[in-house]
Amino acid sequence: MKINLITRRKTLAGMGSLAAAASLPAQQPTPLPKLIGERPGRITPLGDLVNVLEFEPMAERKLASATYASVAGGDRTFFERITLRPRMMVSTVDLDLTVELFGEKMFAPILVGPTAGQQAFHPDGELAMVRAASAAKTVMVVSSESSYSIDKIAAASKTTLWYQVYPEGDLNAIQARAKQAIQAGCKALCITLGAPFRNATGAPSPASVAGAKNAPLNWAYIDKLRQGIGVPVLLKGIMSAEEADAAIKNGVQGIVVSNHGGLLTSAAAASTLEVLPSIADAVSGRVPVLIDGSFRRGTDIFKALALGARAVLLGRPPLWALAAYGQDGVQNLLEKLQTEVGRTMGGCGKPTIKSIDRTSVKIHDA
Amino acid sequence: MDPSRRRALWGLGALAGSSLLRAQQFDPFHDHSRLPGFDEMASIMDFEEVFHAKLPRQIYDFTDHGEGSEFNLRRNREAFSWVDLVPRGAADISSIQTATELLGTKMAFPIMAAPTSGHGLLHKEGELATHVGTTAASNTPYIVSNASSLPIDKIAACATGPVWFQLYPRPSVDATREILEKAQAAGCAAVAITMDQQASYYERAAHLRHLTEDPRTAGTPPRRPTTKNPYRVPDGRLWYNWKFLDEIRPFVKVPFVAKGILTAEDAELCIEHGMNGIYISNHGGRSLDYGPSTLEVLPEIVSAVRGRVPIMIDSGFRSGTDILKALALGANVVTVGRAARWGLGAFGDAGVQKVFEILQGELVMAMAQTGRPTLASIDRTLVRTRFR
Repeated sequence: MKINLITRRKTLAGMGSLAAAASLPAQQPTPLPKLIGERPGRITPLGDLVNVLEFEPMAERKLASATYASVAGGDRTFFERITLRPRMMVSTVDLDLTVELFGEKMFAPILVGPTAGQQAFHPDGELAMVRAASAAKTVMVVSSESSYSIDKIAAASKTTLWYQVYPEGDLNAIQARAKQAIQAGCKALCITLGAPFRNATGAPSPASVAGAKNAPLNWAYIDKLRQGIGVPVLLKGIMSAEEADAAIKNGVQGIVVSNHGGLLTSAAAASTLEVLPSIADAVSGRVPVLIDGSFRRGTDIFKALALGARAVLLGRPPLWALAAYGQDGVQNLLEKLQTEVGRTMGGCGKPTIKSIDRTSVKIHDA
Repeated sequence: MDPSRRRALWGLGALAGSSLLRAQQFDPFHDHSRLPGFDEMASIMDFEEVFHAKLPRQIYDFTDHGEGSEFNLRRNREAFSWVDLVPRGAADISSIQTATELLGTKMAFPIMAAPTSGHGLLHKEGELATHVGTTAASNTPYIVSNASSLPIDKIAACATGPVWFQLYPRPSVDATREILEKAQAAGCAAVAITMDQQASYYERAAHLRHLTEDPRTAGTPPRRPTTKNPYRVPDGRLWYNWKFLDEIRPFVKVPFVAKGILTAEDAELCIEHGMNGIYISNHGGRSLDYGPSTLEVLPEIVSAVRGRVPIMIDSGFRSGTDILKALALGANVVTVGRAARWGLGAFGDAGVQKVFEILQGELVMAMAQTGRPTLASIDRTLVRTRFR
């Protein structure tokens, strides 16, 4: 009869579980973003979040891992290399964040950038997004790969909409979609160059990245695409002064400096902010220069404005907010950023966007 | 009993079961929280630990956290690692001379107590304890904050050490004048006007507040500030302007110093507007996230000022070598804010005294070890900078 028989196997199993429960493994850093002090898995009440970065762990808690992976992270190293040069005793009591783009006054230099398939993040998808953008007086760029039709999005909108397309495939079909969007009220057309990935829930394939890297800019194609559009056309995905210059010479009315959220990693190792000054110099005010790429803080946006951008597009953060909190979350996030830009202007003695210039920042060596 | 495999494993299991690692997990008293005592305070950072343990969380947060993401708070400390001291022989410690004078205020060391608010939260005697402590530390001059817990005349009268006054501008010139007159009547030997911290936000402290919910405010929705601007930026301090400075300038009969300067351009403007000193400060990382560290802008401001007025500096100073680096880069005097708060919160006036005595002793040691016996012998050749 064997009662309480201690076997080698049992003892070793016991020791194994002891080791597993010891404090050492528990102290290992988790690979997922953390919100200091918040219980694992809990969605913090929206009003308690203090900055945009905190929306990311909330989205991670809400989303399927593949969906979250498509909007995770960002490259913020270059932001850390720029300090501000605050000026004192300049009244900013009449703080004014408005900028003019294509003849229209924007409440703040922040846009919701084009991101595809927003229903993957919230059942109301683009409808919730556009309602939030409207509430926060923010221009939204609608992706041609939206979950909802442009007509439905435009019907839900009380703000300025732009439309975004990819310059590939059947030209007539793309033109038709663009014209339909303009009919629905979109005020500008954004053509995204070399986007390596078209699916919000899928990582870019190596082949598509390589293809984007090697694809020459087909000006004839873009020229045809622009025919009869009737609204300003922007090129998104410019990463060099030469491309910017060529774009303007080819009649483009605006430039978006973008590396598609760092997805073109091998092809465009530089951060967008790093190449912005040279592009702004080359453009020298001929057309507005916009930018995206890991903007998460008011100071980030202030830095881009100082280095020559007219406005900043947000990619991932509105999707984080949409996933975790829906429409209210996106509105809260956009308003947080507006306030942060305003605070930064207050702290730097810059009452208007125009008064922010290159002497407002200092770029440091790596 | 013969040794058997079974018994050996039993023994091994028992050993593992009673191991230190396991004991630590289940012994609630084994949390390494013994507090060092007053006599164990050997450096400034020792005080922070005691301060943290003794004071309520909210007060610690308010003292120790910085603006926004605290990039600026971290950079203040990081910047000291970009400056190396290059010793030239050594000097006899008895030959070290540190006495100096700043805008008419004599001091035994080029170190002052920076203005910080609400000492009543840190210690029951508030600013009185601070003044007693600074006076005991070789009459260290104490810049009394405009946001003190006690009135300036009481603070000034409770000890004999020199006091200066720090001013937060009020939109009303008359109200500002009244504050300035009261401070000067109380015997303040100089006034520093705070120009920075126009729209700061203690993100980190706000965050911790909701995680350790205050029962008094639990359940109430966060208040949205009513502001003149549509961007919800609190506008209580956005109005600061040079015209206001010109208007109040005549009310200051003692030396008048501009605090919060971080650019050469503003240093020049301050001199043009009749200021008698430049006080480089980023409010201890509490003013503007992603602002520069004070140490890295010191050379730019020193060359702009060209010796016309003295230069003071604070934000992140924790040791005698930190102070020596700033003196070598051209500062006349270093002030410390947080360190004095830690001393006060941890041990009252004795703590304040000890904080300054440690810094003074460390400065003397650093001067001796780098072969710089006098303040005049401390110059740029003492440091090698690797600012980025």
